[in-house]
Amino acid sequence: MPTHEEILGQVQGILVEALGADEDEVTPGATLVSDLGAESIDFLDIVFNLEKEFDIKIPRGELFPENLAAEGDGLAVDGVVTEEGLTKLREKLPFADIEAFAADPQVANIQDLFTVDMLVNFVSDKLGNGE
Amino acid sequence: MKLAGKTALVTGGSRGIGRAIVWALAQEGARVAFVYRSDSEAAEQLVKDLELDQRESMAIQADVSEADSAERVVQQVQEAWEQIDILVNNAGIVRDGLLATMDTEQWQQVIDTNLGSVYHFSRAVTRPMMSQRHGRIINISSVASHFGNPGQANYAASKGGIEGMTRCLAAELGRRGITVNAVAPGFIETDMTEEIRNVAEKEIIKHVSCRRLGRPEDIAHATAFLASDEASYITGHVLVIDGGLTLGGL
Repeated sequence: MPTHEEILGQVQGILVEALGADEDEVTPGATLVSDLGAESIDFLDIVFNLEKEFDIKIPRGELFPENLAAEGDGLAVDGVVTEEGLTKLREKLPFADIEAFAADPQVANIQDLFTVDMLVNFVSDKLGNGE
Repeated sequence: MKLAGKTALVTGGSRGIGRAIVWALAQEGARVAFVYRSDSEAAEQLVKDLELDQRESMAIQADVSEADSAERVVQQVQEAWEQIDILVNNAGIVRDGLLATMDTEQWQQVIDTNLGSVYHFSRAVTRPMMSQRHGRIINISSVASHFGNPGQANYAASKGGIEGMTRCLAAELGRRGITVNAVAPGFIETDMTEEIRNVAEKEIIKHVSCRRLGRPEDIAHATAFLASDEASYITGHVLVIDGGLTLGGL
């Protein structure tokens, strides 16, 4: 079973390749979209590469769920994620730092929940490290 | 040879334009797998002809309108040759008829085969091509999507759809070294156009600046170029190859 550090190293390698980012930019706290410039097609590429690198299966929407907090279904009001929305986020993104996001839960910043660390924790769990 | 070391997959490859494309890609050094629906004799003959010419090819029977077929075919090619560098979505049928009397089956068969197959196969190769950071997808459209030919609403819709899809996919995949283009043939001498050629060939040629019908090779050579490394900066383009038919001059 690879250690957390080993998984981090492999994830960093994948992000350097997929996003054309510099190695020193890919820190554990870096956000995929704001810091590393990921676009929608990159998320697909990252999933493909994680599956290949770690020999795991990632069903569509499991790592990067869509429509995380749509207005009109009570999950967000006037661009701010509601308590109910935050609860849903905790369910859908168990490896993201929802508590930090909850301090200022703007829907516009929701994509910043996708960080390098979140990927590492996700992979670690998939590999059974979390059990 | 422009395509040495490359692996290609061509749908609708046993006859007509598809056969010429298989041949041209192989002549440029690619290993070519091609999909055929029913004409196993023509498919086997093509493999034999290429073998005599020291070219490696593979014929795979499949109904391209079915999603599962694309996954199966792509897997088969990858298992045999480990990579797919080039996809040519060529498979196409016509079921002409005036829209007012066109039955749903006529509509659906054409849409599923001509447009559905482009979706299924392009989707199936996206993953290997993204991993390789290299790929060429070439979709065979038709000038019928630019004309208003009575009786071809289904065919024109399918080809127009292909051209729209070509541009979207090009925008999605460009960053990964994958180019996506379409080729729109004009009036080409194939089985598909035999019926209309028999009644209107002379009249049609009057509208073609080059004063001849197109040959399958005319399409195949351009396709081989778009599949090559030389065409790496061409993407999202529809290349009309019609001898000047759509220029409108006489």
